[in-house]
Amino acid sequence: MTSVLPGSAAVGEELVMAKITKEQLDGIKAQSVGDSGNWVRVGMSTCGIAAGADKTFEKLTAQMKERELEVRVERCGCAGKCFAEPLVEVAVEGMPVVIYGRVDENVAVEIVDKHILGKKLLNDHIYSVKAG
Amino acid sequence: MVKAFKKYVLLTDTEQGDPERIKKIHDLFLAVLRVIGGDEEIQVVRTSDVGIYGRGVVAQILPDNIFYAGVQEEHVRQIIEEGIFQQKKLEAIAFEPKDKQLRIVLRNCGVIDPERIEDYIAQDGYFAIHKVLTQFTPEQVVNEMKISGLRGRGGGGFPTWMKWNIARGVTADQKYIICNGDEGDPGAYMDRSVLEGDPHSVIEGLMIGGYAMGATKGFLYIRAEYPLAVERVQKAIIQARERGLLGENIFGTGFNFDCEIRLGAGAFVCGEETALIASIEGRRGYPSPRPPYPAIKGLWGKPTVINNVETLANIPVIFLKGGAWFASIGTETAKGTKVFALTGKVKNSSLIEVPMGISLREIVFEVGGGILNNKKIKAIQTGGPSGGVIPEHYFDTPVDYDQLQKLGSIMGSGGMIVMDETDCIVDIAKFYLGFCVDESCGKCAPCRIGGTQLLHILTEISEGRGKIEDVEKLKRISFAMQKASLCGLGQTASNPVASSLKYFYEEYKAHILENRCPSGKCSRLFRYRVVEDKCKRCSLCQRNCPVNVISGDREKGFVIDAAKCVKCGKCFEVCKFGAIAR
Ligand SMILES: Cc1cc2nc3c(=O)[nH]c(=O)nc-3n(C[C@H](O)[C@H](O)[C@H](O)COP(=O)(O)O)c2cc1C
Ligand code: FES
Repeated sequence: MTSVLPGSAAVGEELVMAKITKEQLDGIKAQSVGDSGNWVRVGMSTCGIAAGADKTFEKLTAQMKERELEVRVERCGCAGKCFAEPLVEVAVEGMPVVIYGRVDENVAVEIVDKHILGKKLLNDHIYSVKAG
Repeated sequence: MVKAFKKYVLLTDTEQGDPERIKKIHDLFLAVLRVIGGDEEIQVVRTSDVGIYGRGVVAQILPDNIFYAGVQEEHVRQIIEEGIFQQKKLEAIAFEPKDKQLRIVLRNCGVIDPERIEDYIAQDGYFAIHKVLTQFTPEQVVNEMKISGLRGRGGGGFPTWMKWNIARGVTADQKYIICNGDEGDPGAYMDRSVLEGDPHSVIEGLMIGGYAMGATKGFLYIRAEYPLAVERVQKAIIQARERGLLGENIFGTGFNFDCEIRLGAGAFVCGEETALIASIEGRRGYPSPRPPYPAIKGLWGKPTVINNVETLANIPVIFLKGGAWFASIGTETAKGTKVFALTGKVKNSSLIEVPMGISLREIVFEVGGGILNNKKIKAIQTGGPSGGVIPEHYFDTPVDYDQLQKLGSIMGSGGMIVMDETDCIVDIAKFYLGFCVDESCGKCAPCRIGGTQLLHILTEISEGRGKIEDVEKLKRISFAMQKASLCGLGQTASNPVASSLKYFYEEYKAHILENRCPSGKCSRLFRYRVVEDKCKRCSLCQRNCPVNVISGDREKGFVIDAAKCVKCGKCFEVCKFGAIAR
């Protein structure tokens, strides 16, 4: 994303922080990839991590790399369904966006095999569906 | 390249009970599709939970997003042929689920990466403070807050605009605004989730409050037991500083504001505002009498506003969408939404956000999915140790500050614990009181001595040594604590006792007069025994007893040696014939 921090520039001896402007906020917003493309998003708050979300996150990251998949692995806060942690939201273009629950490392691999590569939703792990 | 399906049928059993039911319908869908064709185009998937409850088997057709409820085997063919192939809506079983939740505070939780400021900005983050700084005077900010009707979410429910306005009216060389992230209620984790999931929204709320009251310095008081929250807030502050969103002359408007974190050491009483201030000043976290109120004389003697995490997270949205928009949500006296940590015997323990005015019943059954294992619900505890229990026949009460108070509980910060028939009310009251006794700072006598006495009496009752006069004593001590304690801790510590006495007096009586615990929780009050006529002599109890005190054999039957029994309840659990009584 933005390669240079808008702001910090040395002027003479002092370090002066240039102020961010409204235009720069707009620019950051416009540049955001948002929800486009293929991605998985892991809930990484305390209750997610307590349930093993960090392992799930690492597994997914490793899988995407190993198998050379163009899928962003992102992290987010608590989506609220704490009873089903770790939660992983999966968006693959042309498929419904779903949140899988109780995703341990094995299920994470299953998601890659079946959902991302096989274009099939997994049975018995969906905890939320985003319409559309 | 594998091709995706064109349609999806998502099947969910929205009732607990028969795990086979959903499999049967799923298999039938697959079988019918195979016969009439279409299994290449349509995927049939079993889900675990889609937030719909008590509607039998639900089928959701995607991408059309059509729902059918109460789906039986005979509907399967019709759904495929008419519903999917002919694109007709089957009116008889069609159904439109309503989402009972509304996410304002949690708008970004579970959506953005909390460690990337760009993600927050992409969701209109820091647009509200820009708007405020360029279009609002501090008076107008206060006014907009007044229109919004936002009341504090930390427990007291004091109108936020009023606090800001009081502090604004005081002239001082320095003022402070503090975010209260102490969150000490057992079972509560709303604030933690917001701090961890969307730290920038709290910082932005703090900035807007600072501008309104004239504070240039903010503190986020976060309990040290929340290391991840601390880490994420720290990152957020650094990122905001790097972008010039914190510091001097923000957006070139001349407004200066910066904030830093202070760690709380996890004492419940430090969440109380005067104790919190003492703790930041480096003194012992003792509360002190008010007035003077912190808004006039607070941190280091300067005007100080203390706002809860959730309160602050609401504020950017109020300025993006307008106070009137916010006020259109909720009830007459409570606007907006409330975040609750729904736990206990509810099927789905979860973090929820619902509009004010929703009923407790909707929360438990339509958001939480009902009671675990289909047990009978007994009550809900709201407001944590300062709150009270609300029995089932009041569950249609709309949730707002005043309604809950009328029932003898409080909104509190948002802990909501569901109890079923196996939970003993005396035991619950004892638990909360025990918490307050542990957490009492001991500075004032009513709280220190009163709490200990109440706990002692409750313990006597739960162990079968209670006397009926004790009930009167409980009431008298409670009253004294409410009236004479120094801070909110002691003033409210007896609430769980008072409310449980009010609604569940019969249960107290059973403990006192009959030495009986109706829920079978107070283990001192019962004995396990084998009921002769129900016993099928399977010996399961004997084989499972961890202390081997069940004698007898499959010929003669079994006897539990009450003197040696440790009351673990294992035999009661394993008996398939209900032949163990207690
Ligand atoms: C014993 C006690 C503990 C409290 N703990 C908290 C807490 O953990 N978090 C919180 O926001 N408010 C807590 N409060 C309420 C605060 O004193 C204060 O009212 C609140 O932070 C104000 O913020 P608000 O107006 O945004 O609700 C507590 C009060 C008492 C009496
Ligand atoms: S931390 Fe993820 S749902 Fe709670």
